[in-house]
Amino acid sequence: MENATPILSVKNLSVNYGAIQALKGVDLDVYPGEIVAVIGANGAGKSTMMNAIMGDVPRAGGEILIDGHPLPARSFLVVTAGVCLSPEGRKVFAPLTVYENLQMGAFPLKDRSMVAEQIKKVYHLFPRLEERQNQYAGTLSGGEQQMLAIGRALMAMPRVMLLDEPSLGLAPIIINEIFKELTEVNRQLGMTILIVEQNAKKALMLSHRAYVLQTGKIVMEGNSKDLLHNPEIEEAYLGGKKK
Amino acid sequence: MDMIIQQVINGLSLGSVYALIAVGYSLVYSILLFSNFAHGGFLVIGGYICYFALRGAGMGIWAASLAALIGAGISAVIVERLAYKPIRERTPITLYMLIASMGMSIVIENIFVVTVGGRFRALPPVIPTQPVNVFGLATTSAFDLLSLATAVVFLVGLQLFLSKTKWGLAIRAASYNLRVAGLMGVNVNRLISIVFFVAGLLAGVGGIFLSVRYTLYPQLGMITTKAFVAAVIGGLGSLPGAVVGSLILGLAEMLTAGFISSQFRDLVVFGLLIITLIVRPTGLFGKSVGEKV
Repeated sequence: MENATPILSVKNLSVNYGAIQALKGVDLDVYPGEIVAVIGANGAGKSTMMNAIMGDVPRAGGEILIDGHPLPARSFLVVTAGVCLSPEGRKVFAPLTVYENLQMGAFPLKDRSMVAEQIKKVYHLFPRLEERQNQYAGTLSGGEQQMLAIGRALMAMPRVMLLDEPSLGLAPIIINEIFKELTEVNRQLGMTILIVEQNAKKALMLSHRAYVLQTGKIVMEGNSKDLLHNPEIEEAYLGGKKK
Repeated sequence: MDMIIQQVINGLSLGSVYALIAVGYSLVYSILLFSNFAHGGFLVIGGYICYFALRGAGMGIWAASLAALIGAGISAVIVERLAYKPIRERTPITLYMLIASMGMSIVIENIFVVTVGGRFRALPPVIPTQPVNVFGLATTSAFDLLSLATAVVFLVGLQLFLSKTKWGLAIRAASYNLRVAGLMGVNVNRLISIVFFVAGLLAGVGGIFLSVRYTLYPQLGMITTKAFVAAVIGGLGSLPGAVVGSLILGLAEMLTAGFISSQFRDLVVFGLLIITLIVRPTGLFGKSVGEKV
């Protein structure tokens, strides 16, 4: 896995909200083709980190590199540089149709035939979206909205897709479905994924490598399989040891 | 019967001019969530550009109108860059932009008072105002029909822009959630400039017709209050709402003027506003889209 330079590299990133330090020097690398998870409790700074990468929250220090080059600090340039986010809480455009939501995801693409091709790919991954393409996104179920948010993030053909809490508010059976589809996105499209999740077990089962974020700092990192069986992780994030 | 048809046409004509103003106002509101009280200024700018292009530069009505629309659009973009952008980049609280817009409204009005004076000016008779017989049913003025037709053309044009173009789609998305539209790769500052240009341009169209209807003076922008009322009745931020609200208001004004007394016009207008706020505070087409968490 660690053969090339990382696609996305976060170095010593810090973010402040007024006097509060939300991120205190986070280091993180994502290599081509990987799924990397960041797990942590509520308020650990997971979403803040995602938003800082996207240029949605100002960075107080550190740098973010894409393919070794500095990632711009303004959102629309971050997207053009190849980083797309499926935001926390999905945030689909409720009054637009499913099809229009996907078109919005393809906003940076200049070529219309490329947009059509991407839409076809997304429909292939999520046939349910094709069935509902003329429906308003606000009328979809939570799981379908999550699929749409993921599909929308794939539309601009990112180099790295960021996923913020895709399991939020979904029934366990739907979560399983979404995570299975994420494996497919990674396998079929070779999509590199950085995911932050409160559902640590699911995230560790999905990902290749993982980081543990605690009050704005990375406190542990390693292969997801190892972390899954790490007693400390079990204790803190996986609901204690099974006897 | 003649009288009713005539007043209905007049009402629709006046309402359609309100609609041009209210729609731009609503468009800005839907993206930035504040009431832009400088909107009336764009209308005055459009009116004066048209006046001086006709009187001073001796242009034809088409060239003068074009100059007025583009000038009003550009001035709207400049106002946004000068007064609102610095605020929205520092704070998410939209109240400050509202206050800044009141300031800009005073600034624009007084720029005209200082430079060209506060007197009333009549546009040269470039827009026909002779009486026209409508299918033998009623008599109205060519001006009313023309302003109605022009407003329809521009409103349909706006609708096409919003529904058929890439930036139109982005504006609709941004009116739901500006931040997320930015996360889709939309240059938010450019989008806001486009919205202000369109809003200013539509206000410019309204400005030309209002200058003909009421003559031109620096405080003509006060008429925006009516468009604001129309937008609230229709549901702030909703474009169809702004159009329907404007037509209701125009009709109410003209029917009141025709059958009761023209002194009661404003009473009826603000009465409608109060009734709307009591009965249905979100307006006719107010937003209430649920989001699943």
